[in-house]
Amino acid sequence: MENQRNIILAVLLTALVLFGWEAGVGYFYPQAKTPTQVVAAGGAEKASSPTKPTREGGLRDAADVALERKDLQTELASGGRVRIAAPGLSGSINLTGAVVDDLVINRHRETVEKDSGPVRIFSPAGTPAQQFAQVGWVGEGGLAAPTASTVWTAPANATLTPGTPVTLTWSNPTGQRFVITYSIDENYMISAVQTVENAGGAPVVVKPFALVNRTEKTASLDTWNVHSGPIGAFDGSVTFGNDYSDVAEAGTITEAGKADWIGFTDIYWMSALIPVNAKAESTFRSLGNQIFRADVVYDQKVVQPRTRQSVTTKIFAGAKEHTVLDAYEKQGIANFGLAIDWGWFRWFEKPIFWLLTKLFSLVGNFGVAIILLTAIVRGIMFPVAQRGFASMAAMRAIQPKMKAIQERYKDDKQKQQQEIMALYKQEKVNPLAGCLPMFLQIPVFFALYKTLILAIEMRHQPFVLWIKDLSAPDPLHILNLFGLLPFDPPSFLAIGVLALLLGVTMYLQFQLNPAQMDPAQQQIFKLMPWFMMFIMAPFASGLLVYWITSNILTIAQQSYLYSRHPQLKAQAEKDAQDKKRSAARAK
Amino acid sequence: MKRFLAFLVSLPGLAIIGVARLWQIGPSAIMPPTCRYTPSCSQYAILAVRKHGAIKGGLLALWRLLRCQPWGGHGHDPVPD
Repeated sequence: MENQRNIILAVLLTALVLFGWEAGVGYFYPQAKTPTQVVAAGGAEKASSPTKPTREGGLRDAADVALERKDLQTELASGGRVRIAAPGLSGSINLTGAVVDDLVINRHRETVEKDSGPVRIFSPAGTPAQQFAQVGWVGEGGLAAPTASTVWTAPANATLTPGTPVTLTWSNPTGQRFVITYSIDENYMISAVQTVENAGGAPVVVKPFALVNRTEKTASLDTWNVHSGPIGAFDGSVTFGNDYSDVAEAGTITEAGKADWIGFTDIYWMSALIPVNAKAESTFRSLGNQIFRADVVYDQKVVQPRTRQSVTTKIFAGAKEHTVLDAYEKQGIANFGLAIDWGWFRWFEKPIFWLLTKLFSLVGNFGVAIILLTAIVRGIMFPVAQRGFASMAAMRAIQPKMKAIQERYKDDKQKQQQEIMALYKQEKVNPLAGCLPMFLQIPVFFALYKTLILAIEMRHQPFVLWIKDLSAPDPLHILNLFGLLPFDPPSFLAIGVLALLLGVTMYLQFQLNPAQMDPAQQQIFKLMPWFMMFIMAPFASGLLVYWITSNILTIAQQSYLYSRHPQLKAQAEKDAQDKKRSAARAK
Repeated sequence: MKRFLAFLVSLPGLAIIGVARLWQIGPSAIMPPTCRYTPSCSQYAILAVRKHGAIKGGLLALWRLLRCQPWGGHGHDPVPD
């Protein structure tokens, strides 16, 4: 009866895994099979994006990609731009509107290919991948303030570098001079100091503002555990709650509280505005057509004749490298490090991530770092296994008593269990490790899973041979003979080499386990490795490296401990034979 | 209203019991027995929450989990009154 129930349960679980997995994986570990799907450049297909957003973000429609390339060429060649050349960022400032609308991130490649270009974060207004930052003023009382079509003046041959800030100027007919000084650091921060000089005879009133404008088309995937979309810190607490769809529905979302920073984030990239030492109102707006804007509007300023007034806004545009973000946070940007969406469990994710990056800096290969991490975790767990074996050895002494109990209560499983427990207590032995050791390992696994999804430090990190990106699934599929056959297997059959290794090592590990379970469970255990092979195949290869290493180390540990306790090995072999014999008899 | 409030108050406890039940019918059913105690940790959590409510019961369950390792105790360990 009991066995039958277990078998039914197993069948149900199996069905659930097989059919639910496809949907589940898309939900828990979204990955695009190809970065851009090739779509015939027809007019009708342009309107809708054919594929789901990816973890990387970026345009997905092939027509958009082609248009973006063309638009960029014409836009950037048209002149009237001040070049930006910094270690972290390259690009240009458009003198029309004084807009920062052309930026690439020098330290990160677009794809895993070594010769792929740097990742583009800013792209001029009107291009498919539109994203830019702008600062300006709203003039009150009819004051002529610069507009988006104002052409600013820059010094001849100016280039924005960390050593050389660039000052743009424009004067209106009534005697006010508007000045924007852009400076840039070694990483991803541009500072914009905007000043109004009043040379006229009467006071003027201005409201300085700054904005980030972007399209949703390039957004990375927003999932239940990693946020992509509008983000900001208000009164020191970071808001992950707004999605693009929320802003589109509401039209405008004004965040209460002092804005520490506000902008839009992808899983790996972010553009944000940071008002410096000033009170500002900040709003997310939907401008229609998948375009969104985050803006910071400062309190209005009265500029008396022959005086000047300035505000400073920092513009972050770049990759969410944790060291860079933490350094900015130290400089006074509240909770900037939390722009990486670690979620509720960051208190254990971050230490493990820290350990991993430390190991990486020691060995220089993230795959090796993951293996070392596994070794450390298994090392910590070793005494648990050792104690289990010591306990098992002690149990041999009470084996006859055990047998007697099993005989006496063989019809009453519950009573048998209780009596055995009582015996354990009386003899002060217990071979079972309890559930805590198992639970302790879950956070490590989860932290690694999360790190591989969201840490840019893991992006494009190779291991060995064919594994060029540990944060992506194994690219080699067995079904098409490692790419020799010209087809891509359906994703639930896309078993990689790593997944196969996982199945085999898990099978071997279960073989070594002391057999002390009922036959139905044993059946399940025989099948489980092969299920896990299917289940884990679409996950990041780094996660599989962890699990495979863990299996191998467990096997090694088991063999070592058996060699220390030869009598247990003999016992285990005898038990296995007994089981087999009784199973054969039952048939 | 009062009944609604009572329902709200019972939610955290129900959540803990739900997690324990899911554990019992899911992973625990197909894994080899590892429990050092009777009742098992999940059963203990359910009984503790029923008897003492979500906060005290939850803490008791957590304390039990922390003891459920090779250096902890074993054997019969019922929920205290």
